[in-house]
Amino acid sequence: MKRPVFWLVLILLFLPFLLISYRIAFLGYPPFPTAPQKAWEISMDAHVLTEGKEVTVKIGLPSPRPGQTIIEERFTSGSLDFGLLQEGPNRVGVWSGEIGERGEMIGYRMTILSHSELHSKPKPPKLGPYPVNTGKLEQELAERLVAKWIRLDPPSRLRAIAATALGHWGDPPPKDQDLKLWSVFQEKQGRLVLFMVLLKAAGLPAQVVEGLLLREGVTSVPVAWLEVWTGKEWERMWASDGKIERGPEKLIALSTGEVELIRLNQGKLSDIRWILDRKIISQWRHHFERIRESPHWLDRWSLFHLPSQFQETFRILILVPMGALLICVLRNLIGFPTFGIFMPVLMALAFRNTGLLYGIGIFAGFVFIGYASRRFMERLHLLLVPRLSIILTLVIILFTVVALMGSKWGLWRLMAVGLLPFVILTMTIERFFVIVEEAGIRVGLRTALGSAFVATITYGILRFESLQLTFFVYPELLFAVAAVQVLLGRYTGYRLSEFLRFRKFRGPG
Amino acid sequence: MILKNFHWLSEAGILGMNRRNAEYIMRFNPRSAFPLVDDKVLTKQLASKHHIPTPALYHIIEHQGDSAGFERYLGDHHQFVVKPARGAGGSGIILITDSGAEGFIKQSGEGISREDLMDHLFDILAGIYSLEGLEDRVLFEALVHPDPVFSAVTYQGVPDIRIVVYRGVPVMGMVRLPTKASDGKANLHRGAIGAGIEIGKGTTLTAVYQSQVITHHPDTGDPVRGIQVPYWPDILIMASRALEMTGLGYLGVDVVIDQEHGPLLLEMNARPGLAIQLANRIGLRERLDLVDQAPSDIFSSPEERVAWAIRTFT
Repeated sequence: MKRPVFWLVLILLFLPFLLISYRIAFLGYPPFPTAPQKAWEISMDAHVLTEGKEVTVKIGLPSPRPGQTIIEERFTSGSLDFGLLQEGPNRVGVWSGEIGERGEMIGYRMTILSHSELHSKPKPPKLGPYPVNTGKLEQELAERLVAKWIRLDPPSRLRAIAATALGHWGDPPPKDQDLKLWSVFQEKQGRLVLFMVLLKAAGLPAQVVEGLLLREGVTSVPVAWLEVWTGKEWERMWASDGKIERGPEKLIALSTGEVELIRLNQGKLSDIRWILDRKIISQWRHHFERIRESPHWLDRWSLFHLPSQFQETFRILILVPMGALLICVLRNLIGFPTFGIFMPVLMALAFRNTGLLYGIGIFAGFVFIGYASRRFMERLHLLLVPRLSIILTLVIILFTVVALMGSKWGLWRLMAVGLLPFVILTMTIERFFVIVEEAGIRVGLRTALGSAFVATITYGILRFESLQLTFFVYPELLFAVAAVQVLLGRYTGYRLSEFLRFRKFRGPG
Repeated sequence: MILKNFHWLSEAGILGMNRRNAEYIMRFNPRSAFPLVDDKVLTKQLASKHHIPTPALYHIIEHQGDSAGFERYLGDHHQFVVKPARGAGGSGIILITDSGAEGFIKQSGEGISREDLMDHLFDILAGIYSLEGLEDRVLFEALVHPDPVFSAVTYQGVPDIRIVVYRGVPVMGMVRLPTKASDGKANLHRGAIGAGIEIGKGTTLTAVYQSQVITHHPDTGDPVRGIQVPYWPDILIMASRALEMTGLGYLGVDVVIDQEHGPLLLEMNARPGLAIQLANRIGLRERLDLVDQAPSDIFSSPEERVAWAIRTFT
């Protein structure tokens, strides 16, 4: 390869590589913009009732973990003021103000997205004190009960403790007296506190978390679980049966630690409920939301900032170079015959509106009728420019007829006929006629079939939504396309068709 | 291995379309020189400046309004050829063997009315046959009476000799013989026969007809092989001089042999086709490489280049 070509290709490939790497590494772009993603819509509604005037309601809101992104958030507060508060690990919504006798509806709605990216390593927490409302007696009892497990590594220690939820105390079993005492204590304090004491006694940092199960449905009671630090990560355990959740994916935290989920200075909340919905949010919307939120200059220059009607145009335009690349491959590598160079690309663009079947059908019909008319016109000896104008007029007449037929039968796709490239159609008819005249009907049909074939493949490429999205998110990929085009421009090897053309040279002699 | 199966093409030294375009046409043919060969009027003027004989030019029509009285300019010439100046592949050319008050007789023996011929002139002027669809000029030139050497293997029409010239060196040649299928036209993709010519001796070799190798003319039944082309060294010199004439390093030179005037330059082509390889059953690559490796002193004059070619391509 020649040097300038080599450098050009290298630069054209390096540029998008650099930009895309930067976007993935620093701006949190997905490496594969089309990988399936789970989105949840979580909404909370409640009715605030109060007898006094001033009210302040604090409700824990879903907190995203590493690997989760909030892509949309909305509040309803009626006549109340709304504020967002960060209390330690918790996000708290604060509604405050005066309300009337009928109370006020408050609400919160968010769309949260889980993507499986590498979690950042959380900081190891410190071991906290015993829960406040426990006495010396219970603490000493707990220390006695876990003493035999203290040597185990933290994950095994947790599992041993978790097993006690179902009454498995291991070998040797604790004294009957201790167990009896322990069940009295459980009666009084509840299982969550019980486990907090046991875990503290065993030297495992732990916290109580209130939250929701990520499961479609409506609930008015959040669930609570324990999060236990086992040296490398937080593990999640249910106090009721000691079951340990494999990962964080099924849970969403509303309130962590010893903060109450719902706090009112007066009055009460009635009808609080959380609605969880698995949402099919389009990939487009996901990227749109994420990029719109980003303050980074590169995101400010994204195609997602275009008004939506222009975005639609660019979704298609951005793939046209891929179509051109395909034409390069078909013509210079394979030696495929087509009418004109980019005619199949224009045809494919038009097929988006008419559909492939109707598009090709209409196209074939037009070329056939046009050919017959052109045949007849040959006898009239008309001059070139007026003759082409006549074919153009004929094409428009056919458009009109087809559109009216579509309207009569209610076939929208026939009505979209007007979007076919009429100039290209006109030139195709003339060229088809000339090819048939000069090289025969076989070559003419072969070229027509070739064009239809290329248009079909191009149509497939243009409609390939994952590809559209990839190019839309990473428009710098166009440079890479250009690089391949440069390479093809320097391809001086044989075309596939030439193996057929020069087949006589094969074999001996 | 698939690759191994595809190796025979390069082993045979075949020149492919991509390589022809990138390595030869784009490297050796400056864009500015293309009009000299694309427009037959310019080619004729250039040839006369270099004292290279071409069929006599009778008349040129540039505008539709000037068409009506074309016969006045033809004078006594009742035989002539109508040609688009920028036509390609022999399209739009009509050979007239006789003219009278009612109309004209074509080479094929068919008549053509004066009105129809006028329409044909209009078509040419409108650019129907021109390379880029641009408006064109009509040439009226002398009808060539081909030397009888090929008459046994020619069905009507005028056979012509195509020589591919690389950097002024004639590297490959063939004679194109009209057939019934080609409608008297000397054009391979219309169905003419292409018979390779040995550069060293000037005798015809194998022939290709509609991509089949043949030994005899399909219409006349006479053998196409072993015919000695008359004026062969003169034709090679003529072809070789095209380099000095046009500055094009890779081109096809088309020559006809007139009974009376000998070899005449018909036209030149800056994008000569690859079918000549089929006619000769030899790939072009090898020969082009040989020219590139040739000592530089052979390029000094057309005579030197032809002498080298005759020595080398035997």
